[in-house]
Amino acid sequence: MATLKGIPVSAGISIGRAFFLNRSGAGPLPRQTLPEALVGPEIARLERAFAQFGLEIEQARERIPAELREHTLIIDSHLMILKDPKLSGVAKRYIQTLGINAEWALDKAVADLEKAFEALDDPYFRDRIQDVRTVSGRVQARLAGQTAETRAIESRVVLMAHDVSPADTASLQTDKIMALVTVQGGKTSHTGILARTLGIPAVVGVTELEREVRDGDLVVVDGLRGVVVLSPAEDELARLSDLKYQFEAYQAGIMRGCHLPGETIDGYRLKVKANIEMLDEVATVVNNGGEGIGLYRTEYSYMNRVKLPTEEELYQEYLDLATIMSPRRVTLRTLDAGADKFVSTLGALDERNPALGLRAIRLCMHHPDIFKTQLRAILRASVAGNISVMFPMISGLREIRQAKAMLAEARAELRQEGLRFNAELPVGIMMELPSAVMIAEVLAREVDFFSIGTNDLIQYSLGIDRTNRYVSHMYQPLHPAVVRSIKHVVDAAHQAGIEVSLCGEMASDPFCVPILMGMQIDCISLTPQAIPGIKRIIRQATMDDCKNLLKLVLESPSVTRTNALVQETIFRQFPDELMFYSSLLDRDENPAH
Amino acid sequence: MGADDILADKSGYSLRVRVLNDQGLHARPAARLAQEAQKFACDVHLRHDEAEVDAKSILDILTMAAGHGSELELRAQGPGAVDALRHLGELFRNRFR
Repeated sequence: MATLKGIPVSAGISIGRAFFLNRSGAGPLPRQTLPEALVGPEIARLERAFAQFGLEIEQARERIPAELREHTLIIDSHLMILKDPKLSGVAKRYIQTLGINAEWALDKAVADLEKAFEALDDPYFRDRIQDVRTVSGRVQARLAGQTAETRAIESRVVLMAHDVSPADTASLQTDKIMALVTVQGGKTSHTGILARTLGIPAVVGVTELEREVRDGDLVVVDGLRGVVVLSPAEDELARLSDLKYQFEAYQAGIMRGCHLPGETIDGYRLKVKANIEMLDEVATVVNNGGEGIGLYRTEYSYMNRVKLPTEEELYQEYLDLATIMSPRRVTLRTLDAGADKFVSTLGALDERNPALGLRAIRLCMHHPDIFKTQLRAILRASVAGNISVMFPMISGLREIRQAKAMLAEARAELRQEGLRFNAELPVGIMMELPSAVMIAEVLAREVDFFSIGTNDLIQYSLGIDRTNRYVSHMYQPLHPAVVRSIKHVVDAAHQAGIEVSLCGEMASDPFCVPILMGMQIDCISLTPQAIPGIKRIIRQATMDDCKNLLKLVLESPSVTRTNALVQETIFRQFPDELMFYSSLLDRDENPAH
Repeated sequence: MGADDILADKSGYSLRVRVLNDQGLHARPAARLAQEAQKFACDVHLRHDEAEVDAKSILDILTMAAGHGSELELRAQGPGAVDALRHLGELFRNRFR
C-alpha cells in the first residue's frame, strides 16, 4: 500500500479503478537551431498548431453538456490565452530572433510567463500559470502531431490525467467518473470546479501519479485529506469505506436538517439568518434553511453608476426582498459606503485614512439628501413583509439621535404625502466600534436591537487591517479583548431587554459559534452557504457545554491559550462536524463572481 | 458608468474603475475584459499602482493580480477611445456578468 499526497479540491471519498485520460508529453522536447531558410516555415508551423488547437477548443465549446455550461467560461479564458500575443507572439519572436524550433520557442515563452506569475503574492493569480501550461501543453502535442482523442470509458472509474483541460470536459462521460486526480493543478484549478459541479471528490497536484499508478489499479481518492491510496490493504479499505459513508451521511444530514430550527439539545433557541447583498441570493438562503436576512447590504445599488438610485428604484428592490422573504425578518443596513466601498457619483474622497474617515453613517449625515431618499424607500417598503433597519458605524449617542431624527423627518414627509409606512419599523445599530461597545448600556436604551459587526470590531479593537499581509496574522477573533467586547454588548442588550445579533465571519466559524451561544446571543447571521453546517453544530450542542467553554475562554489571558483550548474542546465535542465541515467550505474559485 | 467620469488628458482618455468581483480580476473576468477590449481599434491599457498593462492581453491582466476592491485606471488612446472606456467601464460595474 502506498499513499500519494496532493491538494484536496473537492470533498468526498471514492473507491474505484484508475483510468488515465492522458499522460504528459512523450519525453523531452526537441531543441534545434534552424538554418535561416527554415525560420519562415517554422513560424507557419507554430501558427498552424495554435490554430488547430484553437479550432478544437471552439468545437469543444459547442459540445459541452448543459450541466457543465459553467465550463464554457473557463474555455473562453483558455481561448484568450491561446490568442494572447504574450504567448504566441513571444514564441514566434523567439523563432525569428534566435532561429530555434517551434517547440523550444514555445517552451521559452512559457518560461518567461512562469517568472512573471511566480512573482505574484496571491496564490489564486499565481496558480493561473497552470492554465498557461495546459494550453501550451496542448499546442506542444499538436506540434508533435497528436490530435485530441479520448478513449471511451466502459464502467465507472477514477479519472486520472496529467491535467484536465476545459476542452476535455466536452468529451468526458461525466456519468462514468467517480473521482478526479491530476498531476497538475493548484487549489483554484478548474479541475476542482469541475469536480464540485459533478459532486465528486478530487485531488490535484499529485506529482507522483503517472509513475505510481497504472490503468485498472484499485485506488481510493480521499478528497477530504487530499491523498490517493494505492492498492489499499483490507483493513485500510474498510476504514476508508466507513469514512466514505460517514461523509455522505453527514452531507445528506446537514442538508436534510437545515430546515429545522437552530435549537440545542437542551432547548436553547438561536436564530440563524443570512448575510446577502443581492436579491438573487434569496433562493440559496431559503434552500439552506436561513430564518431571515440578518444583514442586507444595500451598497450594491449605489456603486459604479452615473446617477444615484431613485427612491422608486430602492423602494422596488426592498419591497421585492421583503415580499419574497415574508414572513421572515429582513434587516436592511443603511448605506455603508466609504473606506473600501465607494459611491461612484461621489467618487473616492481624498482621505489619508479612509477606514477612519467619512464612511457609513458619517457619509450619510454628510449627504442628508442621499440618506433621506434611502430611509423613505425603506419606510415605504416596510408596509410589506417584515422589515427592520439598522445604522452602521455608530460611535455614540449623537449619531443615533441624528439618524433617528432623519428617520422621523422621512416619516413626517411620507405622512404629509399620504404614503403608507410601518410606523413601528424596528430600528437597530451595528456595534462595530470600540467606543460603542464601551457605552453599550447607554446605546441600548435608544434602539430596538443590536447587531455586532465583528469584522470591523476586530480590526478597530486590535488596530489591524486584515488585508495588510504584514499584520493580517494578528487578526484574531478570539483575542480576549474581542471576546469580552462581544460579551459586554450581549449583556448590555439583554439588560435593556433588546435583541442582539452577530453578523461577522465569526458567525460561520464552528470554533466561535459555541462561544457565542454560551453568551446566549439571540441570533447569528452568516453567508448562506455555511448555514446547514452551523445549524447542525447548534443542534448537537448543549447550553451547559457552551457556557462552560465560554467560562474557560473568558478566564484565558491570551489568544494563544484560547485558540488551543477552543480547538481541543470543539474537536472533542463535534469530531465529525469539524472533519467534514471545514472541507466543505469554499477553498473556492467561484466562477459566478 | 457614463462619459461624465471619463477624463481627457494629453495621452488620450482615462476612466477610474474598481474591481467589484469577490475574487478580483480572475480568469473569467480577465478573459471577458481582454475579449471586449480587442473589439476596439484603439490601444487600451490598464493601470494598477505603478504597473501599466495591455488590457487586450489576458496574461497581462492576470499578472497584474488585481484583487477585490482594487482601484484601477483604464486608459485608451486612438479611434473609438471614449466608446471603449464607456463599454469596458460598464463591464466592471456589472461585475463581468
